[in-house]
Amino acid sequence: QNILTVCFSVGYSVVALNHVIDFKEKKQEIIKPVSPSELFPSLPIVQGTSKRIKVLTRLTLIVSDPSHCNLLRSTSANIRLYDIIAVFPKTEKLFHIACTTLDVDLVCINVTEKLPFYFRRPPVNMAIDRGIYFELLYTPAIKDSTMRRYTISNAISLMQICKGKNIVISSAAERPLELRGPYDVANLGLLFGLSEGEAKAAVSTNCRATMLHGETRKSACGVVYTVKKPRKVEEEETVPACKKAKTQA
Amino acid sequence: RGPAGRAMAAAAAFERRVVRRAAEHHYLRVRLELSDGGARPNAPQFKQLVVTALRELHGEVGAALPVDVLTYEEKTLSAILRVISSGLVKLWSALTLLGFYQNRRCAFRVLQTSPFLLALSGNSRELVL
Repeated sequence: QNILTVCFSVGYSVVALNHVIDFKEKKQEIIKPVSPSELFPSLPIVQGTSKRIKVLTRLTLIVSDPSHCNLLRSTSANIRLYDIIAVFPKTEKLFHIACTTLDVDLVCINVTEKLPFYFRRPPVNMAIDRGIYFELLYTPAIKDSTMRRYTISNAISLMQICKGKNIVISSAAERPLELRGPYDVANLGLLFGLSEGEAKAAVSTNCRATMLHGETRKSACGVVYTVKKPRKVEEEETVPACKKAKTQA
Repeated sequence: RGPAGRAMAAAAAFERRVVRRAAEHHYLRVRLELSDGGARPNAPQFKQLVVTALRELHGEVGAALPVDVLTYEEKTLSAILRVISSGLVKLWSALTLLGFYQNRRCAFRVLQTSPFLLALSGNSRELVL
């Protein structure tokens, strides 16, 4: 709760609370997310505007085996309660599967150790076409200098393949002092090799697009994919909203 | 600093100066947040902290970047730093990624940044709406 208070004072307008599930341990069940209204009876107002801050819930799945992905396809009721779903692939095959067929909003890129696989252009381009964003974390870089090197090297190799598109930078802060303001994070994007506009988008427009992608995923769930019409509606719903976000940002 | 180019308005009583060069220095207003308890750094220690942050991220070349601490208040731990414009990204990223001061967790919050010192005097974020 402390962390959220600091978030608001630093200037963020939407925060997502993450819940991590690691499949290596047995008997992992997806529990219901903590509802934000339990934490704050009334959310404070964003700096400079008169709207209230939004708190979303997010699920991260650490997959190291293709059988773990079956969970995403099963219509478990609890998965749908989360606003954003992210997957953390550990092998190249899983990265390919996540970019091409899995129904997620974010693909997390490991920053704490050397990547066991190299990025290749085809799956990354397919992910960009599908509207999936790649996520980089910056809090390990604050804690340890070895992690700093891995963060920057993994980020640079990702940039070379995806040319700076579809990147989201987020923090995995566990304490309020590990959080950094939005402009500071956008500056870190410059270190990773993004251009200035792309770096600011990594903190603002791309995050909003991820949220909208999550919403369309929720609404279109349950429709059989062989019919093309609902799919088109999904795409159209995302595109104008993104354009609106760009003019507002 | 003299302007690099000058354009005269035709037959008028005023003169228009066009500065083509970008500003030489950038100014940053920062605040250091420390976990409670323990000694607060005084001015030389603060400068040492900034140089250490630069050295940790950008090495000796980064630590040699000309950074000046223009003002420092020990009570609120806030300061105004001046850096050469080409070094702004390096300094800002080094301050963002600094995690520890004397084995205590700390965080640098950059409140304002501007190429003009006068712009740091007003802060639109602290307006009460």
